[in-house]
Amino acid sequence: MKIRRAGMLVLALVVLAGWAFPVLWALLTSFKTERDVLAYPPKLVFTPTLANYSDVLFGAATLLPNLWSSFVVASLATMLTMLIAVPAAYALARLEFPAKRGTGFYVLATQMLPPVGLIIPYYLVLQRLSALDTYSGLVVIYLTFSLPFAIWLMVSYFEDIPREMEEAALLDRAGRVRSLWYVILPQARGGIAVTTIFVFLNAWNEFLFAVVLGGNRVRTVTVAMFNFISVEQTLWAKLAAGAVLAMAPVVVLGLIAQRHIVKGLTVGAVKGGGRR
Amino acid sequence: MTESASVSLEGIVKRHGAVTVLHGVDLAIAPGEFFALLGPSGSGKTTTLRILAGLEPHDEGRVTMDGIDVTQRGPGDRDVAMVFQSYALYPHMSVYDNIAFPLRMVAMPRAEVDAAVRDAAVRVRIDHLLDRRPGQLSGGQQQRCALARAIVRKPRLFLLDEPLSNLDAKLRMETRVELRKLQRSLGVTTVYVTHDQEEAMTMADRIAVFLDGRIAQVGTPHEIFERPASTPVAAFIGSPPMNLLPGEVHRGRLSVAGTPLELARHPGPDGPVTVGVRPGALVLSDHGIPGQIYLVEDLGETSIVDVQVEGQLVKIRTPHRPGVHESEAVHLSCAGSAVHVFDRNSGLRR
Repeated sequence: MKIRRAGMLVLALVVLAGWAFPVLWALLTSFKTERDVLAYPPKLVFTPTLANYSDVLFGAATLLPNLWSSFVVASLATMLTMLIAVPAAYALARLEFPAKRGTGFYVLATQMLPPVGLIIPYYLVLQRLSALDTYSGLVVIYLTFSLPFAIWLMVSYFEDIPREMEEAALLDRAGRVRSLWYVILPQARGGIAVTTIFVFLNAWNEFLFAVVLGGNRVRTVTVAMFNFISVEQTLWAKLAAGAVLAMAPVVVLGLIAQRHIVKGLTVGAVKGGGRR
Repeated sequence: MTESASVSLEGIVKRHGAVTVLHGVDLAIAPGEFFALLGPSGSGKTTTLRILAGLEPHDEGRVTMDGIDVTQRGPGDRDVAMVFQSYALYPHMSVYDNIAFPLRMVAMPRAEVDAAVRDAAVRVRIDHLLDRRPGQLSGGQQQRCALARAIVRKPRLFLLDEPLSNLDAKLRMETRVELRKLQRSLGVTTVYVTHDQEEAMTMADRIAVFLDGRIAQVGTPHEIFERPASTPVAAFIGSPPMNLLPGEVHRGRLSVAGTPLELARHPGPDGPVTVGVRPGALVLSDHGIPGQIYLVEDLGETSIVDVQVEGQLVKIRTPHRPGVHESEAVHLSCAGSAVHVFDRNSGLRR
């Protein structure tokens, strides 16, 4: 038994190391000079420098405006997504209406299209609307992938709440809207938190649409970092510092929501297992 | 005191796709009555209750309360309160907030809400638990909380869906008595769904027996026990239920297994019949229907003797352990007044 546990621990450490390696390597690289980065064999012991951070924060290639852009795009997209996804998911989970199955499938089907196949039509549409390289344009495009994802995730949370709960609320004269507000949503809090975080992170990390449909006025941090890679040279250390900065909110959000996320991933696994 | 409603269901038909769950249910419940819907699972009793509550749409028929058609009204507009089998307490609210919820939804002033909540909590003896969350309560306390939430708004109709089924046997017996007392003191019309005949028999003023989506009989517990309207009702009510044996009426005389049975009344026209006798009405004797002892079940206070009669088991309840042994040949007899005669083909009482 003890050997087995030790074996599991070693296995877990190996997997964790493999999984964490790129993150740790980026962290390490971000404190190196460009010279140390290119040293071969790679240096594990070196004199750390904060130059990369001061460059990407306050230097000529500052990422601060881009971090702000990312924040604006991701926040707006998340807010709009949740505003639409929560009632939509509730309707799909609870209400009876014509073509409900079809609607549910359609929501899921939009997730199956490869984004790269959509980028040209999106580009043409935004161009027609003069919305290329604008916050509103990018946010609307983000809705196209975040909304199905959020609805799909939220439906499972709503389905997890016993139907009798809202029937009781209806009998208590709360009506549809108030039973949703006072009884259902408070119980779906965990699900809403998890979905919000996932939607925000998806938008924050998005690169493809941001680079093609944005780029100049609206340049998110993922796109801006890409500029460290050019034909002449790749500024690995700055890229790493930028990556660490871009990762920071992700890690912070992840830590805050860890408890919820783990529950969120197992929602529906056991009857009622997702709640409480 | 609340104003309680008379309730009626007229020709209620409910279908789930091609399956008909309720085949035209008619019921009339008097104001203040404690009315039980009794039946095995899948018999349509809960569906009927949900139709009364307005939670379930139905395909045909109408629901009236005090003579007013409420068929089209939603659950919130019928002035009914319900206790669910799972209690359906709001887990994120305290007991106090759970009970106050239906009052707050109609914007009752705070002071009145407080008084009503405390009064309801005292009635069901959970006034010391008002700050707890439902998750911190025992099953019995949760059940009381659900009751308090239902009585607090003084509804005209009170619906209970197997409210005792999640309690252990001892608590169930206690709560049964309390529930009946509570209903009497409130005087509110109550419809109570249960599959437990003992619950229905002990609590209800009247019972509707549901079988296969139809009402097989409506009557007082006494009527249903003493005069079951058909063989399915006879076979459902009683523990153990009534013994049903094939019999024959020939020239106005009834016989079972070739043995004539004396009846207090005329058994009806000649033809095949089903003869029913409650286990408690049968006695082992030296004359009557011949049979063979199959098994003796000692229940402590009473014994159940299983006797094989023409390949069928007949149960006899005796107050003492009888001095018989397995495979012994015996005879069964009973008073003529205890014999029920049903038409063999229709199953209806003669």
